[in-house]
Amino acid sequence: MAARDAYLKRSLGTLSKRIRESRVLLVGAGGIGCELLKNLLLTGFGEIHIIDLDTIDLSNLNRQFLFRQEHIKKSKALVAKEVAGKFQPNAKLEAYHANIKDSQFTVDWFAKFDIVFNALDNLDARRHVNRMCLAANVPLVESGTTGFNGQVQVIKKGQTECYDCNPKEVPKSFPVCTIRSTPSQPIHCIVWAKSYLFPELFGTSETDAEADGLDHSEDAENAEEIENLRREAQALKAIRASMGSDDFAEKVFTKVFKEDIERLRGMEDMWKTRKPPEPLDYGTLQEKASAIDPTVSQNDQKIWTLEEDFVVFKDRSDTRMPYEDKRLKSLQESNTGEVEPILTFDKDDVDTLDFVAASANLRSTIFGIEPKSKFDIKQMAGNIIPAIATTNAMTAGLCVLQAFKVLKDDYSRAKMVFLERSGVRAINSDTLKPPNPNCPVCSVALGRIFVDLEHATLNDLIEDILRQQLGYGDEFSVSTDAGTIYDPDLDDNLPKKLTDLGLKAESLIRVIDEEDEEPRVNLELLVSERAKATPEDKPISLEKQIDIPKKPKQEPAAEEQVNGAALNGTTGKRKRGAEEAGLEEIQPAKRFAKAEANGDGEHPIVLDETESGAILIDD
Amino acid sequence: MTDAFPGALVGPSSKERKYDRQLRLWAASGQQALEQSRVLLINSDGPIDGADTTVGGVAGVETLKNLVLPGVGGFTIVDPATVSESDLGVNFFLEESSLGKSRAEETARLLQELNPDVDGDFLNEAISELLKRPDFLPQYKLVIVSGPIKRSSLDTITASARELGIPVIYTRSVGFYSVFSLQLPAEFPIVETHPDPESTQDLRLVNPWPELKEAAARISNLDTLDDHEHGHVPYVLLLLHYLEKWKAEHNGKPPENYKEKSAFRDMVRAGARTNNPEGGEENFDEAAAAVFKSINPWSLRSNIREIFEMEQCKNLKSDSDNFWIIASAISAFYTKHGVLPLPGSLPDMKAKPSDYVALQNIYKKKARQDMEEVLETVRATEARLGRQTPITEKEVETFCKNASHVKVIRGRDIPRIDKDSTQTLKAVRNALGNPESVMPIYIAFEALDIIVDGIQNGQLPQGSLDDDATWTTTIDRLLNIIAEGDDTVINDEVRERVTKVTQELRRTEGGELHNISALTGGLVSQEVLKVLTRQYVPLDNTCVFDGVGSRSEMFRL
Repeated sequence: MAARDAYLKRSLGTLSKRIRESRVLLVGAGGIGCELLKNLLLTGFGEIHIIDLDTIDLSNLNRQFLFRQEHIKKSKALVAKEVAGKFQPNAKLEAYHANIKDSQFTVDWFAKFDIVFNALDNLDARRHVNRMCLAANVPLVESGTTGFNGQVQVIKKGQTECYDCNPKEVPKSFPVCTIRSTPSQPIHCIVWAKSYLFPELFGTSETDAEADGLDHSEDAENAEEIENLRREAQALKAIRASMGSDDFAEKVFTKVFKEDIERLRGMEDMWKTRKPPEPLDYGTLQEKASAIDPTVSQNDQKIWTLEEDFVVFKDRSDTRMPYEDKRLKSLQESNTGEVEPILTFDKDDVDTLDFVAASANLRSTIFGIEPKSKFDIKQMAGNIIPAIATTNAMTAGLCVLQAFKVLKDDYSRAKMVFLERSGVRAINSDTLKPPNPNCPVCSVALGRIFVDLEHATLNDLIEDILRQQLGYGDEFSVSTDAGTIYDPDLDDNLPKKLTDLGLKAESLIRVIDEEDEEPRVNLELLVSERAKATPEDKPISLEKQIDIPKKPKQEPAAEEQVNGAALNGTTGKRKRGAEEAGLEEIQPAKRFAKAEANGDGEHPIVLDETESGAILIDD
Repeated sequence: MTDAFPGALVGPSSKERKYDRQLRLWAASGQQALEQSRVLLINSDGPIDGADTTVGGVAGVETLKNLVLPGVGGFTIVDPATVSESDLGVNFFLEESSLGKSRAEETARLLQELNPDVDGDFLNEAISELLKRPDFLPQYKLVIVSGPIKRSSLDTITASARELGIPVIYTRSVGFYSVFSLQLPAEFPIVETHPDPESTQDLRLVNPWPELKEAAARISNLDTLDDHEHGHVPYVLLLLHYLEKWKAEHNGKPPENYKEKSAFRDMVRAGARTNNPEGGEENFDEAAAAVFKSINPWSLRSNIREIFEMEQCKNLKSDSDNFWIIASAISAFYTKHGVLPLPGSLPDMKAKPSDYVALQNIYKKKARQDMEEVLETVRATEARLGRQTPITEKEVETFCKNASHVKVIRGRDIPRIDKDSTQTLKAVRNALGNPESVMPIYIAFEALDIIVDGIQNGQLPQGSLDDDATWTTTIDRLLNIIAEGDDTVINDEVRERVTKVTQELRRTEGGELHNISALTGGLVSQEVLKVLTRQYVPLDNTCVFDGVGSRSEMFRL
């Protein structure tokens, strides 16, 4: 077998041994992940663990070359291991069909790897892995692509910037009233169809969970209209119960495109300056549309006529039509087979998309907004990031080259690498910057506490550990993933057991010093479970004393507003109102910067620039 | 979903769904062009240094992988090599059982498995034999050659391809380095160059056509509008409105220089109501922000003028490429109107939906009119030249939309460091002047080519690839040619850089590293996609990749 890696050995020298002996974690088996797995195997990496929670979709096959038609709906991680493993039988491959955020993947588990590669498609998971790698002090090679652009970044605790040292763009959202009452752009109607109508009818209703893309920050100012909208949603729920009946489509149509519109129209104040919406009538459209075949929906480039929208809407909501297997209703049943069937919006599911496209266009017509083609609606509704094999190939190759520097511990020569379509260089690189001293993620002190979970109370933590052993004064707050559990104004929880506050083994506790004079940097404590050795022992103990330096001067306000969003609500911002707290828990990644003027000017709109380079997606 | 609804996958839209993420980059037209293309990969041409050494061909195979996945029509691999032990360690598209079999056949089979839509084929013969068949090369839309390859073979390939107007990519990947060059036909026109959307905005504010003027006139009395209306006048109309006002005060002239434009911007800003209870006068902010970008007299970009003046545009023939027929019609349009056809797109802006749609329609209608005028000229030309197949309206429309950004690349040959290639030598010298340039890598690859050619021709003994003296002499010879007698250009520092790079290149004795070749395959296939879809602007003409520094550089050699 010597001849096989002859070139490798010659070229990599002593590094080749380290490569063979290293343990690699690959997070994500998508576009970059497939490429990276192949490259790592053929570069001689000896042990690779692959994790991905996704299953394979038809739209992956144009670039995720380890997957074929017959693998659709199967686990990406497992298939990737099976297919790639055949080509390199000597390597040890381990696959997990799981979410990297799952609690089984502890800091200790991360610490067992020599290097971690992020090949992910979302900000949330990227941030999680970033934090875990910092906590475990494992080097991370972060990567992403969008269209022809790509990016690779090496992250090493204490030596380079981490993923959150620079603020990242947050997803787009719109005020509820713009979406539900006063749309003025195609995107408003698309968000309405995708995040209101679709989930209310087929998925988890908005009252149960925060809908994607909605901004509730102004609800209070519009309390009356919000209450009306709540009633509308309730009425829709009643109709939902009649799903499968002969007149389901008609009921839904009449409710949302006629009655609700008539109600809106009745609010004269709203239409003093705007053109009032024009309700649609089911019977009239039915007559006009009698000759149209629902297969018209296959044309995704054409902008459908009102009648065509109607036919597609009806077909996709109606269960009486003969194509039993293609309907949302049946898809929904097959999804769970249980009492409460739930569909989530999937841009790549044809029926879901047709329903959303037709509904959005019907609503656009009502409000005098230009309708869009299905192709465009898919892009807007699905936040689709263009993706091709070529960019993934380049990005994965660059990841491995950076891994060489990491394994040599040569961070001074490791790079931040960008792929760009234009200019004289297809590949540009930049030296890595040192950690941002104000980063709320990596510029924190880390420690571990051993907790007797059966007995320990919050008071034990506050008094024994934080005040007595770590020297905190009066002004500080303590939070967990669920929100703030202690601050000077919130001491009700002190007698409560930590377990009752949602803490368990591997939970993270964040302590924020709020002294005016020279506050110390944030502290993160990892909880490890340990029973008391003797009854006299304190229920919580420190693993070892922690050095918590002072914060650098000129603490910018940006910390809480921008980067803090990464921390699942564990920022220093205290949450008082129950509603506000609930909101933050569910949608932690949203903070509202004043927007570009793009809407009707009455509400802030946060725009998401997916091409900005900050959010790089690989799915 | 497959298990429950197998039918859903074979529906007419399954292809669109499979290719959805790339259709967002090159649309159905690009996909169609790709699917109608067959690509030839010449992946080796006999041993390069002794009986059991051939080019690994990994970069070539990885390039094909990135073309098969997005659905290229078909590919043929020409490769007389048999699969060796070292191939298995570096080429993902070979299996244990491939050992000793035809490498062309095995790689073609495994690549074909990636995408059933693609027709994969292979040939074990030497390329020199295949080229003797006149019907061989014309089957292909593009040829990829994996080097190093005998110079005479490469010359035959590039000469035939040039004659047939078929693009060729010559690629080499060794150790941590790779380099590839693209030979395009003498003229390679691109309509859909996908420029930055910012740069394509064409609103014609300085010289509005009558319908647009009319729309602006309807808001001539801004003061009478209520606050809501006032805060929702589309900024395009605001600018037109204030331009009229400005012109009235400036002898009918629009603001022309920086100072005037600043003053004009202040005038627009001053129009915003400060006490608008509706809160927003963002439309005025939008208008002010657009002043410097939008208040410019229309002018023809020089490279479009050059296209109008090219022989192909002026002297149409019955077999002229569609591009030239349309370009000529657009040139006539320009001569008549002093502008290009209006692209017709309108940026997003704060406005009431109905007003926005109305304004959008004014732009769309004008664009349509302009396009129809061009189309009429195209039809007249077709009739005059007696052309059989009419150019589609869609093609004319696309051209009109992109008219100010079309591009014609004048194809260059695969470069070579040679006494007669003055242009190439000049570019090489210029690059060497920059100590950061990766040009030394290109020179090292040229030396590799020369040595391999020498071995294959019998001028150098086998094993020369491992011989220090051969390398030193070859590099010296190349540097002398580059210097063209001027010793100040090739100083010790340059020599040192070239020598260092050469040593790195030689470490793998001509062998490929999978990771570098995979990355190179990504770079090369990206250029192939641009050429085949005729979208985006391809490489002109050489790209060097340095895997040690993780960077690339493009040269016009």
